[in-house]
Amino acid sequence: MPTHTARSPVPPFFALPEIAFREYVRRPRDAFIGFFSVLCVLLLLATAAHAQSEDFIGAGTLYLRSDATDVVQAPRLHTDVTMKVTGIIARVQVRQRFQNSSDNWVEGLYAFPLPENSAVDRMRMEVGERVTIGEIREKVEAQKLYEQARESGQHASVVHQSRPNLFRTAVANIGPGQTVAITIEYLEIIEQQAGRYSMRFPLTITPRYIPGVTVDQGAVVTDETPVAALTAAVSPHDTAVLGDLQPTLIAPDTSSQSVSFDVDIDAGVALKDVASTYHAVKVDTHDSRTHVRLTSERVAPDHDFELAWTPQVHGEPAAALFHERTEDGDHVLLMVMPPQEDMRVSTPREVIFVIDTSGSMEGESIRQARAALLKGLASLKPTDRFSIIQFNSIFDCLFAQPVSATPDNLATARHYVAALRATGGTEMLPALSAAFAMEASGEHLRQIVFMTDGAVGNEEQLMQTIRAKLGDARLFTIGIGSAPNAAFMRKAAQMGRGTFTYIGSIDEVDQKMSALLQKLTSPVLTDIELHWPSNAAVEYAPAQVRDLYLGEPVVVVARVQGEVKGMLAITGHSSGVWMRQIPLHDVQGREGVATLWARNRIEDLLDARASGVSPDEIRSQVLPIALRYQLVTDYTSLVAVDHTPARPASEGLDSQRVPNTLPQGSAWPVATYPKTATPAELHLIVGLCLLLAAAVLFMNERRRVRS
Amino acid sequence: MTLRGRKIFIAAVALLGIWELSGGLYIHAKAWLAQKLIATAWARTLAGEKDVRPWPWADTWPIARLKIEAAHVDLYVLADASGRSLAFGPGLVSGTAPLGSEGASIVAAHRDTHFRFLKELRPGTMLSLQTADGRKYLYKVSEAHILDVRAERLSLDDVVPTLTLLTCYPFDAVVPGGPLRYAAVAERVEGISANAM
Repeated sequence: MPTHTARSPVPPFFALPEIAFREYVRRPRDAFIGFFSVLCVLLLLATAAHAQSEDFIGAGTLYLRSDATDVVQAPRLHTDVTMKVTGIIARVQVRQRFQNSSDNWVEGLYAFPLPENSAVDRMRMEVGERVTIGEIREKVEAQKLYEQARESGQHASVVHQSRPNLFRTAVANIGPGQTVAITIEYLEIIEQQAGRYSMRFPLTITPRYIPGVTVDQGAVVTDETPVAALTAAVSPHDTAVLGDLQPTLIAPDTSSQSVSFDVDIDAGVALKDVASTYHAVKVDTHDSRTHVRLTSERVAPDHDFELAWTPQVHGEPAAALFHERTEDGDHVLLMVMPPQEDMRVSTPREVIFVIDTSGSMEGESIRQARAALLKGLASLKPTDRFSIIQFNSIFDCLFAQPVSATPDNLATARHYVAALRATGGTEMLPALSAAFAMEASGEHLRQIVFMTDGAVGNEEQLMQTIRAKLGDARLFTIGIGSAPNAAFMRKAAQMGRGTFTYIGSIDEVDQKMSALLQKLTSPVLTDIELHWPSNAAVEYAPAQVRDLYLGEPVVVVARVQGEVKGMLAITGHSSGVWMRQIPLHDVQGREGVATLWARNRIEDLLDARASGVSPDEIRSQVLPIALRYQLVTDYTSLVAVDHTPARPASEGLDSQRVPNTLPQGSAWPVATYPKTATPAELHLIVGLCLLLAAAVLFMNERRRVRS
Repeated sequence: MTLRGRKIFIAAVALLGIWELSGGLYIHAKAWLAQKLIATAWARTLAGEKDVRPWPWADTWPIARLKIEAAHVDLYVLADASGRSLAFGPGLVSGTAPLGSEGASIVAAHRDTHFRFLKELRPGTMLSLQTADGRKYLYKVSEAHILDVRAERLSLDDVVPTLTLLTCYPFDAVVPGGPLRYAAVAERVEGISANAM
C-alpha cells in the first residue's frame, strides 16, 4: 500500500484508473467517487469517439445524388386564388407564379394542398405571352412527356395528385429572371351545415406525420444535435424525381411567398353574415352578388383561408338542382335541406361501448379512450340502457346484457372504466360480434360506440361482420391516438350507418365527444330514397345516400340515362316520414356537374380498396372515367409542354424544391416517427464498465490481502 | 470498510455489471430468436394462411421477407412498427403504402439489431422483397437521407414505387432516443422481379 496520503492535484479520472482506485479505495465514499469517475470517463470517451466518426454527415445532407453545383435560390412563388361561387358549386382558379430570380435555368418543384373533395380538371401554363393548355394523361405518361421536355430545354409543367388533398407541380426550364405561371382549376361542392355555407382553402401542408406508435414528448435538443439539423432540410440540389422528402419549410415572408384571394359569390339570393374565419376581408354586395377580397392585398400562406355565409331564405329552404348533359348522359346535382327538428331523440337509446385495451393503446391512447368513455356514460339518461365491452387478446363485458343507466350501474361502470389497462393482442372480431349479439329490447335505438386505434389486419372480416350483423343498430367509430387506421374506421362507420370521430389528443376529447354525443342524441333522417320518373336509369355517386344527422343537407350527384322530366320525390324517415317533391322541369344547366359526378364516382371506386378489390382492377375501372371526364386522379395527371425550345443545350438545369411556408403556430413534434434505437449498446457498455470496475477492485483487494 | 463489506461491494458491482450486460445481450438475443420463430409463421403465410402470429400472444405477424444478398441480410418484415414489434423485426410503418403496392412504403427497424447493416448499404444495392401473396419485387437503392424528425417529414408521395428503410442515426450513438433518422430510399426495378429470390 502506498504510504503517502497527499491527494494528487490531478483530478482522479485523469490518472490511471488503477492508481486512482488504490488511492481512493480506502474510504468507501472515495471509492465510489473514483469508481463513478472512471465510469463516466469511459462513457464520455465512447460517446465522443462515435461523435467524431459521424461528424462529416449532418442532418439534411443528401449525399448520394448531389451534383455539387453552386447553391441556387429556389424560385419565388406567388399564388392568386380566384373563386367563383354559383349557388352550391365553386370553380376555383389557383394561379402559381414561379419567379426565378437567379442567373441559372431552374426547375421548380412545389407541393401544395387543395381541398379534399376538389375535382381538378384544368391547367394552363403561361410564359410571357405564350399560353399552353394542359392535357390529362396517364400519370406515368405525363411524367415521361414532362421529363422529355425538361431534357430538351422546353417549357413544361406537370400536376400530379399525391393524396386526395395534396398535389405537386413541377415546372421545367424557368430562365434567369423569368416568370412561369401555372393556373390549376378545380370544382367543388360547397359544404353546408344548418343553412350556413362554408368553403375552406388550405394553404399549409396537412400535417400528416409518418405515424409510428411510440410518442416521445420528452425528446429535446442536446449539444450533440448538429446545428445543421435545426435549419437545413433537403439539399437544394435535390433531383427532379417528384417525391422523396418532404419539402423544406420557411418562415412566412410575403416577398418570397404570398397569396391573394378574390371571391365572387352569386347565390341567387342576398347573403348575410359573410365572414372570413382567419383573414381580414373586404365584402362588397350588389344585389345577389357578393365580392370578397383580403384587406391587405397579399398575405403569407401560413394559415388556411375559410369563408362562410348564410343565404337569406324565407320559409322552407329552396332545393338546389342543377344538371349538365354530355354524351355520357345527364348529370344531376341536388342539395336539399330536410326540416330541422330542434329536439332531442325521444326514443331511448341502448349504447354498447366497445373499447380496445390492447397493448398498442398503452400510454396516451388509453387515457384518451377512458376520458371519452366517461363522457359517453355521462350522456346517458335513466331510460337509456348500456353496457361496456373491453377487448385485447380476449374480451370482457361489464354487463352481459345491456342494463338501465341507473346511478348504481353508472357508478359501477365508472369504476370499471377507471380500471382499464392496455395490454395483450388486438382481437377485435369476437368483441364486435358480442356487441352485435347482445339482446336488443326492440324499443331502444341500438348504438354501438367503438373506440380503437385500429391496429388490425383482418379488416375485410370485420367489414363482413358489420354488414351481416348490423341490423337496426348504428356503429359509431372513434379513432384514438396518433396513428389510427382512419380509412378502416371511416369505412366501418359508413357501413354501420354511423359516423367516424377522430380524437388526436387528450385536449380534443371534450370538443369531439360533444359533437358526437350531439349526433347520438339528435334525430336522424334515415332510409333516404329518391324516386325518379319511371323511365330513368340512375347511377348515384356516392352509390349510397347516407343517413343524415342534425343540420346536414341531402346532397346527391347522379348520372341519369333517359329524359329528366316530371317530378323527383325524396323520402326519408325521421320521427315520421319526410317527403319532398321537386319538379324537374326547372332544373338549371350548370357546367361542372358531370365532372363532380365523375370525381365522386372515382372516389367510390377507390374506396373499394378497403374491401379487398385488387389495385389492378380498381385502376382499370378508374382510368377510363378519369380520361373521359378529364380529371386528375391517382392514375392521371395534367401535363403541358410548349414545344418552342427555351433553354440552350449548353446551359445546365438546376432542380429546386420550392419550400412551403411554415404553418402558423406549428411546432414540429418529435412524436410519431418510430423509435428505432435500442438501449442494447448502452447496456453493454455500462455492463462492461461495471465488470471492469469490479475486476479492478477485486485485484486490488487480493493485493491488499497478500500484503 | 471491513473485508466482508468490501467483498460484498465488489460482488454487487460485478452483479450489476452482469445484469446490465445481460440486459444488452437480451435485446440482441430476442431480436435474433424472434426472426427464427417468425420463419415458421412465414412459411405458413406463403402456404396461404392469413396473418399468422409467430407465437400465440403476438400482436403482429410477418407480411414480407426482405433479402439483400450483398449484405447477407434475410429478414421478415412485420405488420407494424410499434415499439413492441420492432424488438422482433423490422416493421411496416403504418400509414405508408402496403408493401409491393404502387406507392411509397417505409419499413423501420432498430439500428443496433436488424438494420445495423444500413450503415454499409451503398447506392445501387439490390433489395428483394417477397410479399405474403408470394410475389417478389426488386428494388435498387437510389439515395439516402439523414433527417431530423423535429423539422422534416418523409413524404409518401412518389410517382415511382419506393421502399424506404428507416432507422435511427447516428448508427453508433450510445444513448437511444435521438431526433435523427437515416432513410435509405430504394426504387422499384421493373421487369426482373420474377427471379429476384
